[in-house]
Amino acid sequence: MADRYTLRLPALEVRQGRRRIYCFAVDGKKLHSFAAVSRIRRDDGEQLHGYQRPEVLSHIRGIRKYLESDGAMLPNAIVVAFNDRIEFVPSLMIPTDTVDYSVPGELVIEVDESLSEAEKPAWLVDGQQRSAAIRDADLAEFPVAVVGFKADSEEEQRSQFILVNSTKALPKGLIHELLPDTTGQLPDSYVRRRLPAQLMTRLNGSRRSPFYRIIASPTAPNGYIKDNSVLKMVEHSLFEGALYQYRNPVDGSGDVERMLTHLIGFWSVVREVFPEEWSKPPRNSRLTHGVGIQSLGFVMDTLTEDVPAEGVKTVELKEALESLKPHVAWTSGTWKFSDGEERRWNNLQNTPNDVRQLTSHLLKVLRKRSRRR
Amino acid sequence: MKFYFPDSQDLVSPTYDFINDEYLPTRVRQRDDVYAHEVAKPSPYDGILVSKAIVDGSMKGSGKYAAPQRARLYRLGVRKFFRLPESMSSLGDCGAFNYVDEEHPPYTVDEVLDFYEECDFDAGVSIDHVIFGYMPGAGESDVDDAWVKRRHISLELAEKFYAAVQERDSAVEPVGAAQGWSPASYADSVARLQNIGYRRIALGGMVPLKTHEILACLEEISPLLLPDTQLHLLGITRVDSMERFADHGVTSFDSTSAFRQAFMDDRNNYHTADGAYTAVRVPQVDGNPALKRAILSGAVSQRDAIAAERNCLAALRDYDKDNVDLDEVMAALAVYETLVLGSTPTKKSYLAHYRRTLEARPWKSCPCALCKEHGIEIAIFRGTERNKRRGFHNLTVLEAKMRTLAT
Ligand SMILES: [Zn+2]
Repeated sequence: MADRYTLRLPALEVRQGRRRIYCFAVDGKKLHSFAAVSRIRRDDGEQLHGYQRPEVLSHIRGIRKYLESDGAMLPNAIVVAFNDRIEFVPSLMIPTDTVDYSVPGELVIEVDESLSEAEKPAWLVDGQQRSAAIRDADLAEFPVAVVGFKADSEEEQRSQFILVNSTKALPKGLIHELLPDTTGQLPDSYVRRRLPAQLMTRLNGSRRSPFYRIIASPTAPNGYIKDNSVLKMVEHSLFEGALYQYRNPVDGSGDVERMLTHLIGFWSVVREVFPEEWSKPPRNSRLTHGVGIQSLGFVMDTLTEDVPAEGVKTVELKEALESLKPHVAWTSGTWKFSDGEERRWNNLQNTPNDVRQLTSHLLKVLRKRSRRR
Repeated sequence: MKFYFPDSQDLVSPTYDFINDEYLPTRVRQRDDVYAHEVAKPSPYDGILVSKAIVDGSMKGSGKYAAPQRARLYRLGVRKFFRLPESMSSLGDCGAFNYVDEEHPPYTVDEVLDFYEECDFDAGVSIDHVIFGYMPGAGESDVDDAWVKRRHISLELAEKFYAAVQERDSAVEPVGAAQGWSPASYADSVARLQNIGYRRIALGGMVPLKTHEILACLEEISPLLLPDTQLHLLGITRVDSMERFADHGVTSFDSTSAFRQAFMDDRNNYHTADGAYTAVRVPQVDGNPALKRAILSGAVSQRDAIAAERNCLAALRDYDKDNVDLDEVMAALAVYETLVLGSTPTKKSYLAHYRRTLEARPWKSCPCALCKEHGIEIAIFRGTERNKRRGFHNLTVLEAKMRTLAT
């Protein structure tokens, strides 16, 4: 019968203590013919069966797009748990001088496509989304590395599932630093962050930038401005403010050089006007603190919304920022807000409320000034 | 007759991928998106109505605008923010329905005029307070004290608003809001507003009224109108009666109903010049709460659901290209509908309505730019991008009807 056949896959049996695991490769399109995807559900007796969540369709779409892109690769092995209906046959000719913990041979899997999910000889422990993406991808075949083990019970499979899925995510700072120098398909949230991260990295790395090496990152350990403060400021301006003018909405790309010129133009005036405050870390200066970076980012958006990059750094801008001087308390004293509220200089925090309060305070000062002129 | 479309942040994404049902990961809401007047040709309305309550939030909760968007609206003004062409006008109001439960409107005259001026509206409606009730023969002593009070609050605020506009020498054209509970009380409100100086008057609180009740009010009002006074109906469409409304001095109105019917109405989702069709429901497996629950509980296999959903979309698209016949599409739709309705068998089947829609293929003959571009997708009830485009299409149909009235 066409739906019953034997798969013979070259494999390596690896000994780990009393356990044996099997490393092999198989066409991902064939994976579902012998490996079931067990989903978490309860039977009529409230007994727990399976251990997995349903497929996350958006995640699968992301992987699928990546797989269909040029030069795609899935180096991570998919992990399956076998029942005892599979067989490992060692090679007849094994050289005697080889290591004793790994044995080459062949994994023999009897495939019966008419079996229900529950009766299949293997269950997917890790790689459900990836294997679904391979299944859906517009590709003739896609061989993947698989690691299999014989599980004693469903409970054991479940604990393996938790173990492989509880690894710690990469630290954010590292991702921000890596992002600009990546190619190919990435998850959507990273694609969205790539341009802001690229701008931040350039701000931190250009000598003409007032942010030169002062944004804390894995490769700028002496930086004192939080990467997230700058990233948020850039993202905001890119989506809602002055940097939007350099953006291409059709593909999400942007004119990075002019964006950089715009940012450097504005922030170098900030540094000229507040040199002391700019040189101090956030605990001694609210200017380099998240609340200051973001509020001044909003000021940049207001003052330079339609200004082309080359025309940002002007005498007028310097005069406007200088007019803020009597009304700021970056490093000492108190903030005096127009609603009568007074806050000690270091009482402002990097919260949406405080950012809003400081922004509207600064914008009010600027508006009053422009009305007087 | 001029038609204003009330803004509720209804936009569509021009780069949306209909085949994979996904947005560009870098899409920026509102800025990269487009309004009906940017994408539906011919342009489906003469202007937009923007409520302070939608922009700034109200007692009932936050508005529809994120803080940065609100800041940008104030910064750029309504024309640039909405990217309105020269020919379109803008009208601001307070969004009285958002504070209908309050005893007093939550805004001061200065706040409201600040909003109109900072956003640079062409015209702005005075602060009003909706009266929820209609008693045609009743005088002040016969109705709830609150109704009497609300009418007086509205008139008093209208007087202060007009004075503020004069005092500030504001560029915003003042529009007086009239409230009432009967033809006589509305007529009295209009007369007083004219005395204050208003030559543009918006009639509020009429949304729940039947057409003959609106007409009764207009009949009482129109003899009092000065020759240059224009009336606006807040929240009213009633295309069939528009001509008679116009006879009584109505020159403009606003309404979201044609738009919202695209995805809120049970049946009449896709409008045409002489009727309406039901949109074909193909919900997303991961977007339909009932189906999601059925999958999580194990009652429905996710794989089956995805296959049925894909079959429907493929069959509909093939049908639009004449590659499959109607019965094949109907069979695919029936399979998926059974899965979706499975857990709630009390819900009725739409299949007969789908057949009618698919047989007629109204999008094939529609002249609007959206139907031309998207074909059958516009008749599929699925996700905000299709549903709002269908709403935009409905607006063009409404606009065409209004245009035939005008000539
Ligand atoms: Zn159309």
